[in-house]
Amino acid sequence: MAGSLIKIYEEIVTSAVSSVDLGGANWDSSYDVYMVKFSNVTVTTDSTILYARVLKSDNTADSTANYDRALTILRSDTNFTDTGSTNQTEFGIEILGTATGESANGIFYLFNFNNASEYNFCTTEMSNLDNASRLIAGQGGFVHTINQLGKGLQFFMSSSTIAGGIFTLYGLNK
Amino acid sequence: MTEEQALEQATQEIEDAKPLYKQINKERLEFTQADYDQAIIDRKNFILDEYNNGYIRARQEQYLAIPEQLDLIYWDGVNGTTNWADHIAEVKANNPKP
Repeated sequence: MAGSLIKIYEEIVTSAVSSVDLGGANWDSSYDVYMVKFSNVTVTTDSTILYARVLKSDNTADSTANYDRALTILRSDTNFTDTGSTNQTEFGIEILGTATGESANGIFYLFNFNNASEYNFCTTEMSNLDNASRLIAGQGGFVHTINQLGKGLQFFMSSSTIAGGIFTLYGLNK
Repeated sequence: MTEEQALEQATQEIEDAKPLYKQINKERLEFTQADYDQAIIDRKNFILDEYNNGYIRARQEQYLAIPEQLDLIYWDGVNGTTNWADHIAEVKANNPKP
Protein backbone atom coordinates (compact mmCIF):
# COMPACT_ATOMS: atom_id res chain seq x y z
CA MET A 1 0.00 0.00 0.00
CA ALA A 2 1.75 3.16 -1.20
CA GLY A 3 2.30 5.94 1.28
CA SER A 4 1.56 3.86 4.33
CA LEU A 5 3.20 4.00 7.71
CA ILE A 6 3.83 0.41 8.71
CA LYS A 7 4.19 -0.40 12.39
CA ILE A 8 7.19 -2.70 12.86
CA TYR A 9 7.70 -2.92 16.57
CA GLU A 10 6.76 -1.35 19.89
CA GLU A 11 8.10 -1.32 23.42
CA ILE A 12 5.87 -0.16 26.25
CA VAL A 13 7.63 0.59 29.53
CA THR A 14 5.58 0.02 32.65
CA SER A 15 8.35 -0.93 35.10
CA ALA A 16 11.42 1.25 35.51
CA VAL A 17 14.33 0.49 33.19
CA SER A 18 17.58 2.29 32.41
CA SER A 19 17.37 1.66 28.67
CA VAL A 20 14.93 0.66 25.96
CA ASP A 21 16.06 -0.87 22.65
CA LEU A 22 13.79 -0.22 19.71
CA GLY A 23 14.80 -2.29 16.69
CA GLY A 24 17.76 -4.61 17.02
CA ALA A 25 16.58 -8.16 16.51
CA ASN A 26 13.19 -6.76 15.55
CA TRP A 27 14.57 -4.51 12.80
CA ASP A 28 12.98 -4.93 9.37
CA SER A 29 15.49 -3.87 6.71
CA SER A 30 12.96 -3.63 3.88
CA TYR A 31 12.34 0.12 4.22
CA ASP A 32 14.34 3.15 3.10
CA VAL A 33 13.10 5.51 5.79
CA TYR A 34 11.83 4.78 9.30
CA MET A 35 9.93 6.74 11.89
CA VAL A 36 10.43 6.32 15.62
CA LYS A 37 7.80 7.72 17.94
CA PHE A 38 8.36 8.18 21.66
CA SER A 39 5.49 9.37 23.82
CA ASN A 40 4.71 10.03 27.47
CA VAL A 41 8.26 9.19 28.48
CA THR A 42 8.63 9.83 32.21
CA VAL A 43 11.51 9.36 34.63
CA THR A 44 11.91 8.32 38.25
CA THR A 45 14.40 10.99 39.38
CA ASP A 46 14.14 14.74 38.95
CA SER A 47 16.46 16.62 36.56
CA THR A 48 17.87 13.68 34.63
CA ILE A 49 18.58 13.45 30.92
CA LEU A 50 17.03 11.15 28.35
CA TYR A 51 19.42 10.19 25.53
CA ALA A 52 19.35 8.17 22.30
CA ARG A 53 21.95 6.08 20.49
CA VAL A 54 22.02 4.14 17.25
CA LEU A 55 21.74 0.35 17.50
CA LYS A 56 24.47 -1.38 15.47
CA SER A 57 24.30 -4.52 13.35
CA ASP A 58 25.09 -6.64 16.44
CA ASN A 59 22.03 -5.11 18.15
CA THR A 60 24.09 -3.19 20.70
CA ALA A 61 24.15 0.58 21.02
CA ASP A 62 27.04 2.52 19.51
CA SER A 63 28.63 4.57 22.28
CA THR A 64 31.55 5.89 20.26
CA ALA A 65 32.04 9.65 20.00
CA ASN A 66 30.45 9.98 16.58
CA TYR A 67 27.22 11.90 17.13
CA ASP A 68 26.96 15.43 15.75
CA ARG A 69 23.81 17.30 16.62
CA ALA A 70 22.07 20.56 15.71
CA LEU A 71 18.79 21.76 17.14
CA THR A 72 16.65 24.82 17.47
CA ILE A 73 15.09 24.87 20.92
CA LEU A 74 11.67 26.50 20.97
CA ARG A 75 10.62 27.55 24.45
CA SER A 76 7.43 28.88 25.93
CA ASP A 77 9.15 30.90 28.65
CA THR A 78 11.96 32.74 26.86
CA ASN A 79 13.87 33.16 23.59
CA PHE A 80 14.39 30.37 21.16
CA THR A 81 17.98 29.19 21.04
CA ASP A 82 20.14 27.22 18.66
CA THR A 83 22.38 24.51 19.99
CA GLY A 84 24.84 22.09 18.50
CA SER A 85 27.81 19.89 19.27
CA THR A 86 30.10 17.41 17.57
CA ASN A 87 31.72 14.09 18.45
CA GLN A 88 29.33 13.29 21.27
CA THR A 89 28.78 9.75 22.53
CA GLU A 90 25.00 10.09 22.36
CA PHE A 91 22.14 12.38 21.35
CA GLY A 92 20.62 14.28 24.29
CA ILE A 93 16.84 14.54 24.11
CA GLU A 94 15.72 16.42 27.21
CA ILE A 95 16.26 17.09 30.91
CA LEU A 96 13.18 15.58 32.51
CA GLY A 97 11.59 15.84 35.93
CA THR A 98 9.02 14.08 38.01
CA ALA A 99 6.28 16.71 38.42
CA THR A 100 2.86 16.04 36.93
CA GLY A 101 2.91 16.25 33.15
CA GLU A 102 6.68 16.42 32.78
CA SER A 103 7.45 14.05 29.91
CA ALA A 104 9.12 13.70 26.53
CA ASN A 105 7.21 13.23 23.30
CA GLY A 106 8.53 13.27 19.79
CA ILE A 107 9.44 11.71 16.50
CA PHE A 108 12.68 10.72 14.80
CA TYR A 109 12.96 9.98 11.11
CA LEU A 110 15.85 7.60 10.35
CA PHE A 111 17.76 7.70 7.05
CA ASN A 112 20.47 5.43 5.57
CA PHE A 113 20.15 2.90 8.35
CA ASN A 114 20.32 0.01 5.89
CA ASN A 115 23.32 1.38 4.03
CA ALA A 116 26.67 0.29 5.49
CA SER A 117 28.59 2.77 3.34
CA GLU A 118 26.75 5.91 4.47
CA TYR A 119 26.32 7.82 7.71
CA ASN A 120 23.08 7.39 9.65
CA PHE A 121 21.03 10.58 9.64
CA CYS A 122 18.11 11.40 11.93
CA THR A 123 15.75 14.34 11.97
CA THR A 124 13.70 15.01 15.05
CA GLU A 125 10.86 17.11 16.32
CA MET A 126 9.76 16.93 19.89
CA SER A 127 7.58 18.63 22.45
CA ASN A 128 8.60 18.13 26.05
CA LEU A 129 7.75 19.46 29.47
CA ASP A 130 11.16 19.69 31.12
CA ASN A 131 12.22 19.42 34.76
CA ALA A 132 10.83 22.91 35.46
CA SER A 133 7.51 22.16 33.68
CA ARG A 134 8.48 24.45 30.80
CA LEU A 135 7.46 23.59 27.28
CA ILE A 136 10.67 22.79 25.39
CA ALA A 137 10.09 21.97 21.75
CA GLY A 138 13.02 20.87 19.63
CA GLN A 139 13.50 20.81 15.88
CA GLY A 140 16.68 19.49 14.30
CA GLY A 141 18.58 16.28 14.10
CA PHE A 142 21.81 14.39 14.37
CA VAL A 143 24.20 12.50 12.17
CA HIS A 144 26.01 9.36 13.26
CA THR A 145 29.33 9.80 11.49
CA ILE A 146 30.30 6.20 10.85
CA ASN A 147 29.71 4.23 7.69
CA GLN A 148 27.78 1.34 9.16
CA LEU A 149 24.39 -0.28 9.33
CA GLY A 150 21.91 0.97 11.89
CA LYS A 151 19.15 -1.17 13.35
CA GLY A 152 17.11 1.30 15.34
CA LEU A 153 17.59 3.43 18.42
CA GLN A 154 18.32 2.86 22.06
CA PHE A 155 16.79 5.29 24.55
CA PHE A 156 18.67 5.46 27.83
CA MET A 157 19.54 7.51 30.88
CA SER A 158 22.95 8.00 32.47
CA SER A 159 21.28 8.35 35.85
CA SER A 160 17.74 7.65 37.00
CA THR A 161 15.47 5.34 35.05
CA ILE A 162 12.69 5.54 32.50
CA ALA A 163 9.51 5.12 34.53
CA GLY A 164 7.13 4.80 31.61
CA GLY A 165 6.64 5.48 27.95
CA ILE A 166 5.72 4.09 24.58
CA PHE A 167 8.39 3.62 21.91
CA THR A 168 7.22 2.65 18.45
CA LEU A 169 9.12 1.88 15.24
CA TYR A 170 7.48 2.36 11.85
CA GLY A 171 8.63 1.84 8.31
CA LEU A 172 7.63 4.25 5.57
CA ASN A 173 6.26 2.08 2.83
CA LYS A 174 7.43 2.96 -0.67
CA MET B 1 37.55 17.44 38.96
CA THR B 2 39.81 14.90 37.30
CA GLU B 3 38.69 12.05 35.09
CA GLU B 4 39.78 9.63 37.80
CA GLN B 5 37.64 11.38 40.41
CA ALA B 6 34.66 11.37 38.06
CA LEU B 7 35.18 7.69 37.36
CA GLU B 8 35.33 6.90 41.06
CA GLN B 9 32.12 8.83 41.72
CA ALA B 10 30.37 7.23 38.75
CA THR B 11 31.41 3.75 39.80
CA GLN B 12 30.04 4.30 43.28
CA GLU B 13 26.77 5.75 41.98
CA ILE B 14 26.16 2.84 39.64
CA GLU B 15 27.09 0.39 42.38
CA ASP B 16 24.57 2.04 44.69
CA ALA B 17 21.89 1.99 41.96
CA LYS B 18 22.17 -1.76 41.28
CA PRO B 19 20.30 -3.67 40.05
CA LEU B 20 19.65 -1.79 36.81
CA TYR B 21 17.41 -3.09 34.07
CA LYS B 22 17.02 -2.78 30.32
CA GLN B 23 14.01 -3.45 28.12
CA ILE B 24 14.71 -5.50 25.00
CA ASN B 25 12.37 -7.69 22.98
CA LYS B 26 9.54 -6.82 25.36
CA GLU B 27 11.51 -8.27 28.27
CA ARG B 28 12.85 -6.50 31.33
CA LEU B 29 16.33 -7.88 31.93
CA GLU B 30 19.03 -7.02 34.42
CA PHE B 31 22.09 -5.32 32.95
CA THR B 32 24.96 -7.51 31.87
CA GLN B 33 28.45 -6.68 33.11
CA ALA B 34 29.08 -4.94 29.77
CA ASP B 35 25.96 -2.83 30.34
CA TYR B 36 27.15 -1.87 33.81
CA ASP B 37 30.59 -0.99 32.44
CA GLN B 38 28.99 1.25 29.80
CA ALA B 39 26.70 2.80 32.42
CA ILE B 40 29.73 3.78 34.48
CA ILE B 41 31.38 5.40 31.45
CA ASP B 42 28.17 7.28 30.60
CA ARG B 43 27.77 8.43 34.18
CA LYS B 44 31.42 9.55 34.33
CA ASN B 45 31.00 11.55 31.13
CA PHE B 46 27.85 13.16 32.53
CA ILE B 47 29.60 14.10 35.78
CA LEU B 48 32.53 15.62 33.92
CA ASP B 49 30.25 17.51 31.54
CA GLU B 50 28.23 18.90 34.43
CA TYR B 51 31.40 19.98 36.18
CA ASN B 52 32.99 21.59 33.12
CA ASN B 53 29.91 22.97 31.35
CA GLY B 54 27.09 23.03 33.86
CA TYR B 55 27.78 26.65 34.80
CA ILE B 56 27.38 27.68 31.15
CA ARG B 57 23.96 26.06 30.93
CA ALA B 58 22.95 27.56 34.27
CA ARG B 59 23.96 31.03 33.09
CA GLN B 60 22.04 30.61 29.85
CA GLU B 61 18.97 29.70 31.89
CA GLN B 62 19.27 32.77 34.10
CA TYR B 63 20.14 35.51 31.61
CA LEU B 64 17.17 37.69 30.75
CA ALA B 65 15.70 37.33 27.29
CA ILE B 66 17.48 39.39 24.61
CA PRO B 67 14.64 41.97 24.21
CA GLU B 68 14.69 42.56 27.96
CA GLN B 69 18.48 42.95 27.94
CA LEU B 70 18.24 45.44 25.06
CA ASP B 71 15.68 47.39 27.06
CA LEU B 72 18.03 47.46 30.05
CA ILE B 73 20.90 48.67 27.84
CA TYR B 74 18.71 51.41 26.36
CA TRP B 75 17.55 52.73 29.73
CA ASP B 76 21.07 52.48 31.16
CA GLY B 77 22.13 54.80 28.34
CA VAL B 78 19.30 57.21 29.06
CA ASN B 79 19.60 57.20 32.83
CA GLY B 80 23.31 56.58 33.31
CA THR B 81 22.62 53.39 35.28
CA THR B 82 24.37 50.01 35.13
CA ASN B 83 21.41 47.63 35.42
CA TRP B 84 22.41 45.52 32.41
CA ALA B 85 26.01 45.06 33.54
CA ASP B 86 24.78 44.37 37.08
CA HIS B 87 22.44 41.67 35.78
CA ILE B 88 25.18 39.98 33.79
CA ALA B 89 27.61 40.20 36.70
CA GLU B 90 25.05 38.75 39.11
CA VAL B 91 24.34 35.74 36.87
CA LYS B 92 28.06 35.10 36.40
CA ALA B 93 28.72 35.42 40.13
CA ASN B 94 25.87 33.06 41.00
CA ASN B 95 27.21 30.46 38.56
CA PRO B 96 31.00 30.63 38.81
CA LYS B 97 33.32 28.84 36.44
CA PRO B 98 34.90 25.90 38.34
